[in-house]
Amino acid sequence: MLKKEVSGEAIAKSMFEMAKLEVPIICIVIGEGSSGGALAIGVGNKVFMLENAIYSILSPEGYSSILWKDPSRIKEAAEKMKLTAKDLYDLKVIDKIIKEPDDEDAFNKICKNLRKEIVSSISEMKEMSKDEIVEHRYQKFRNMGEFIKI
Amino acid sequence: MIVDKIKKRAPSAKNKPSNIDIPVGKWIKCDECGEIIYIETLNKNLNICPNCGHYFRMHINRRLEQIIDKGTFESFDLKLETSNPLNMEEYTKKLKALREKTGLEEAVECGTGKINGENVVICIMDSGFLMGSMGVVVGEKITYAIEQAIEKKFPLIIFSVSGGARMQEGIISLMQMAKTTSALTKLDKAGILYISVLTDPTYGGVTASFASLGDIILAEPKAMIGFAGQRVIEQTIGESLPEGFQTAEFLLEHGFIDKIVERKDLKNTLYKLIQYHK
Repeated sequence: MLKKEVSGEAIAKSMFEMAKLEVPIICIVIGEGSSGGALAIGVGNKVFMLENAIYSILSPEGYSSILWKDPSRIKEAAEKMKLTAKDLYDLKVIDKIIKEPDDEDAFNKICKNLRKEIVSSISEMKEMSKDEIVEHRYQKFRNMGEFIKI
Repeated sequence: MIVDKIKKRAPSAKNKPSNIDIPVGKWIKCDECGEIIYIETLNKNLNICPNCGHYFRMHINRRLEQIIDKGTFESFDLKLETSNPLNMEEYTKKLKALREKTGLEEAVECGTGKINGENVVICIMDSGFLMGSMGVVVGEKITYAIEQAIEKKFPLIIFSVSGGARMQEGIISLMQMAKTTSALTKLDKAGILYISVLTDPTYGGVTASFASLGDIILAEPKAMIGFAGQRVIEQTIGESLPEGFQTAEFLLEHGFIDKIVERKDLKNTLYKLIQYHK
């Protein structure tokens, strides 16, 4: 019961604690990530996404029903929302797209790609001080989203 | 005969100017009790129905008048506009129309002001602007206000009213939750007081970020506060929810908020809390 009431607070607290951690954080979206639940564990110094994963403000079903009051426009919502790895890379929300080769040995190859990126990110952040790690993460999210000065 | 007379008189009666002059847009109906209220009366009564006590939502300027000492508010005046990350054509048009209609730049106004002489950084949201939803401009303005509170060492007060993250800006809106939350970790580290005031309704990404992170969380009576709406939760989990679920009173009982404060007492309560934490 209590969980349902305060899920909003739980998300806020989780992001708050993540933002303060003094160790490097790497987050990887491996399937469908959406809304506050995904972001609650998504405040990382580095955010990766598998090539075919999606990451969005809400599921396309929820999106079309909220924005257009028409749950049947799912396909249109999915296209407009910019939820693919490529979209999010272009929007500077994620740092890297992990390739997913389409062959028999795909799983091993994906793991190998992931391992390579994780190791190289860790070695990149290894030399940073605790304060630098926290500040690095802060600046990443501080600069999320572009706006125009009128 | 009589019927004929009425028939004859009816059209001319329609055209005859009424003795009572009711200017358009000067009256409003209470959603709760149906009472028709003169807007001036409502404004003088802190936007509370004089008949049943129902709390109307407040325009930013009304809220400023109520909370901040006269003539002390200074807006940060950032003058920002979204880059419209999803390139939604109708969204740009809607924003333009809303700016003209409401006289507001966006769904939040932020600046410095005084409460009974005490300096504060204050942010006030407005439900009349796309349901107070948070896109990049709201996120940036709140974050800037938090940074200003740190720099000036002024307590921070945020009045929330919001439907949540702004759908029209997609994932960028979601990221504003992390942006505002990260900024609050710095405020926390600097030891600056943050009072979050929840007003009806506070939902979604705003509940799930800065609104829930106050050192002290206050709410107005009967305010509806939650993450997902009641209907959505019931449909998702397939269970019905208890009565009054998501009201400020229910959340107070369960420890989520610290105090429910009537609108007339808000300014003094904020003042006292700032005094205690000096």
